Amino acid sequence: MAEHTKIIAVTRFDPERDDAPRSQEYEVPVQEDWKVLEALNYIKDHLDPTLSHRWSCRMAVCGSCGMNVNGEPKLTCREPLSNYGERVEVAPLANFPVVRDLVVELEGFLEKLGALKPWIMLAKQRAPEEGATRQSPAELADFKQFSMCINCMLCYAACPVVANEPDFLGPAALATAHRYNLDSRDEGAAQRAEIMRGEGGVFSCSYANECAEVCPKNVDPAGAIQQAKLANVLSWARSFVVRRRAAS
Amino acid sequence: MRGLLLRLEPLIWGLFGGGMFVGALLLPAWCLVAGVLLPLGLLPAAEFPILWEHLYYQLSQPLGRAVAWSAVALPLWAGAHQARHLVTDFGGLRWDGLVGGLCYAAAALGSLLAAFAVLAL
Ligand code: SF4
Ligand code: FES
Repeated sequence: MAEHTKIIAVTRFDPERDDAPRSQEYEVPVQEDWKVLEALNYIKDHLDPTLSHRWSCRMAVCGSCGMNVNGEPKLTCREPLSNYGERVEVAPLANFPVVRDLVVELEGFLEKLGALKPWIMLAKQRAPEEGATRQSPAELADFKQFSMCINCMLCYAACPVVANEPDFLGPAALATAHRYNLDSRDEGAAQRAEIMRGEGGVFSCSYANECAEVCPKNVDPAGAIQQAKLANVLSWARSFVVRRRAAS
Repeated sequence: MRGLLLRLEPLIWGLFGGGMFVGALLLPAWCLVAGVLLPLGLLPAAEFPILWEHLYYQLSQPLGRAVAWSAVALPLWAGAHQARHLVTDFGGLRWDGLVGGLCYAAAALGSLLAAFAVLAL
């Protein structure tokens, strides 16, 4: 396989030693079919064992290898090095605190996601004897796209609202909440409603659509959020009618 | 102010959505056809007969007035909402309540004036 070298400029940051992130260049003998992650692994294995970066599955499933490559959020295990020139800049995902080098802190995201109760909630627990809850292919199709999220956080790195509003729940979390609201087996929409339409909820989204552009799984979080806004408007309008009826 | 805006979000976003539909989709198409292509003779007038008297009559009917009002007022709300988000996108989150309040007040005033204008048709 043909081999040549590329300069991989990696953002390094050790909170115990550095005041600010710095860039460090490595000359890496790359192969034509390499992904960006393979160059990073080469650096770690052969050039500099102190480099910290996250990865696991190497097949766009685990969502752990997201980084900014030449300023754009990418899954590095999927991103061909050949898409770039002789010098490639790899930085941690934007809009997240950095733990070290290319590793970002996801705690804030996990808290937001958890607050939206991303699991199936039932009004009344079913007994096992009642059998499985059935779902038709059409019902599955309603939310399937939004269930493909691998929590890679590329959408958070790309979103201008995440950058400006620290409280914004963000594309992936809101899309996942909407996914459960759409699930025919779920009865928890009312429990998610307050946080979804509250401070940092769906209405903070200005529909820049950057999340949908960068999502490696075609989740279309922006579309999910617009749908959730519409559902909110309709339920708000309905609440008047229902209240009126209850009053009369 | 932010709390109030947050409570009114479904209404505001509904007006914004309507405004985008009217202002970004319907009005430009109408302006293009009636304001540019027909007067310049780029579309055969025979196939797109706009009877202005008839149109004026329709717009002075109750439903027509509602349509005319929507065509003016809804895009104002869309613009106000966009302007508010633009300020936030440029780092003005801390003034969001004030900016939002002013933008929507302007849209509300415009909607009111549009209502007077439409009633005078
Ligand atoms: S929505 Fe897409 S970009 Fe965002 S975390 Fe999920 S898979 Fe990644
Ligand atoms: S390593 Fe698992 S998604 Fe890239």
